[in-house]
Amino acid sequence: MSEVLTRAACRAEGTARTYEEAIREAGALLVEGGAVEPAYVEAMLERERTMTTFMGNGLAIPHGTLDATDQIRRSAISVVRYAEPLDWKGSPVRVVVGIAGVDGQHLEVLSRIALVFADTDQAQRVAEAGTTDELYGLLAGVNA
Amino acid sequence: MTTTASAAPTLSRGRTAQVRLQRFGAFLTGMIMPNLPAFLAWGLITALFISVGWLPNEMLGGFGNADLPGAWQGAATQLVLADDGTTFRQYLGLVGPMVTYLLPLLIANSGGRLVHGERGGVVATIATLGIIVGSTVPMFLGAMIVGPLAAWVMKLVDSLWDGKLKPGLEMLVNMFSAAIVGGAMSVAAFFGIAPVVSQISTWLGDIVAWLADNGLLPLMSIIVEPAKVLFLNNAIGNGVLVPLGAQQVVEQGKSLLFLVEANPGPGLGILLAYTLLGVGAARSTAPGAMFVHFIGGIHEVYFPFVLMKPVLIVAAIAGGMTGVATNVVFGSGLVGPAAPGSIIAVLAQTSRDSYLGVILSVVLSATVSFLVAAVILRASRKRDLAAGESGDLAAAVAQTEANKGRSSAALSSLVGATGTAAPVRTIVFACDAGMGSSAMGAAVLRDKLRKAGIEGVTVVNKAVATLDDDAADLVISQRELTERARQHAPTTRHVSVDNFMNSPVYDDVVSELGASRAAAGAGEAP
Repeated sequence: MSEVLTRAACRAEGTARTYEEAIREAGALLVEGGAVEPAYVEAMLERERTMTTFMGNGLAIPHGTLDATDQIRRSAISVVRYAEPLDWKGSPVRVVVGIAGVDGQHLEVLSRIALVFADTDQAQRVAEAGTTDELYGLLAGVNA
Repeated sequence: MTTTASAAPTLSRGRTAQVRLQRFGAFLTGMIMPNLPAFLAWGLITALFISVGWLPNEMLGGFGNADLPGAWQGAATQLVLADDGTTFRQYLGLVGPMVTYLLPLLIANSGGRLVHGERGGVVATIATLGIIVGSTVPMFLGAMIVGPLAAWVMKLVDSLWDGKLKPGLEMLVNMFSAAIVGGAMSVAAFFGIAPVVSQISTWLGDIVAWLADNGLLPLMSIIVEPAKVLFLNNAIGNGVLVPLGAQQVVEQGKSLLFLVEANPGPGLGILLAYTLLGVGAARSTAPGAMFVHFIGGIHEVYFPFVLMKPVLIVAAIAGGMTGVATNVVFGSGLVGPAAPGSIIAVLAQTSRDSYLGVILSVVLSATVSFLVAAVILRASRKRDLAAGESGDLAAAVAQTEANKGRSSAALSSLVGATGTAAPVRTIVFACDAGMGSSAMGAAVLRDKLRKAGIEGVTVVNKAVATLDDDAADLVISQRELTERARQHAPTTRHVSVDNFMNSPVYDDVVSELGASRAAAGAGEAP
């Protein structure tokens, strides 16, 4: 089984300017990696409309609705980092983690990401990671 | 820990009483709040379809004679007893059955569930039907007593053979034990409790009549307002005040007694206070309730708001007394009963020389009850906001309890007033789908607990919809979700977070658990 976070699903220079674009950007990485059907991205947008996935410390974790679980082929996450903060329904976001989770396989990884971002210094370091290698390097540990 | 041993028990007794009172308030909220839509539905249907409503409908309102030629026979009918003892066929309608059966049964079901889950709810509902049919007054008070009581009896009975049954027999025993307990409790309630509640209602009526006879008019509100909120408004209004008022009209041409119960002012003030100063669902429901109450004249819709926070009865009483006193001063009154108690019905019945006094009595009573209710809501607003729901003191209760623990007085005296046992063993993070944010929050808190060296606390994440009261000692959720979480686990302690990654709440929980562990350790020491 492939790793939940791959280097190909990391992007250090996100181009989105709105949270909706950012969800599409993070969602596209999941689609390209073959983790989800394109329809899952719509479910991610729908989920965001009902409640924000802003988590604090510059992190948002868009994911689909419960109904969209059958659009997921395998558990995966994507990471996009933005040089300038996005306006995420009123909260500043520098790092967007797109989530596709089935059967709880992604929970371990999510837990580790949470611990990275709960530490303000580490969260800052991820937000300042200018290259994709650097970004993946900081987060690769979550696969372990 | 600096508290002296002699002072500690007193302090902890005071706190215990406070905790009990707050718990009781949270319990009442749990019984009433989920059923607010049913109250509103009933209020709307009543305002529309009764004979003095906006769209009178004899079949829905339940006042038409079903034997008249051309009457539709498809509607359910019942035999109604006339004053002279003869019976006739009259449409049953929606209004009567809803207030007589639906609302008390819903309350009983919620109350039963709080005590003993789904099963408790069913047994509570069966038992409550016994008091409903055993009495002639609406059995809201009865439902709030019998429902939880029946569920509690079921819980005791279940505990008798808990875990001792052969697997194949469980289903059979569970079904029949609930049926027997429910059936027996409904018979017991029919004979035992219905007469008591009916008698209370008669006594209240007697007291009101006595006050009216002795010129102590404003004092009537002390009886009338609480009786109203217990849904004895019709018993007191139609049973006592209207006959007395009618007598006065014959003598003086008008009577203020018609306005004692029917004055929509006090309820308006309370709903207004909720609209401006309440929080959560109660706040968002209040404006609609205000319309049904003030224009529709269905006072029942504000009763739940008082039942949730019983101290608000003070506001209703103060408002009611103001209204009565105003009418005494102006010598104003109505020429007939204002039914329903809508501002429009009140004005329609106002004696031609009394408009100033009657309108002032409504306005002043609303103002006074608003001010009192505002002070009460304001005082608890911060706590309610933190808890995420108005009127619900669960968080405050749990907070106090966590500070004090479930420790006995003896333990408290050993470790001082802040001494505590360890009440929190399971913490659940709840989010919408249980897929993302709650897992992350749980991870962060687990890590913090581990770093603080606190063991024996389980932290898990769940979807809000799968929560129940047995799930956890503490539920943590996003602010927008706390209210929904609370509906699923009404007696559990809830806290809200805005920031899952880095919330001050986490540090509070960690330090609270740390303190309680330390204190429990001290308590166990010889």
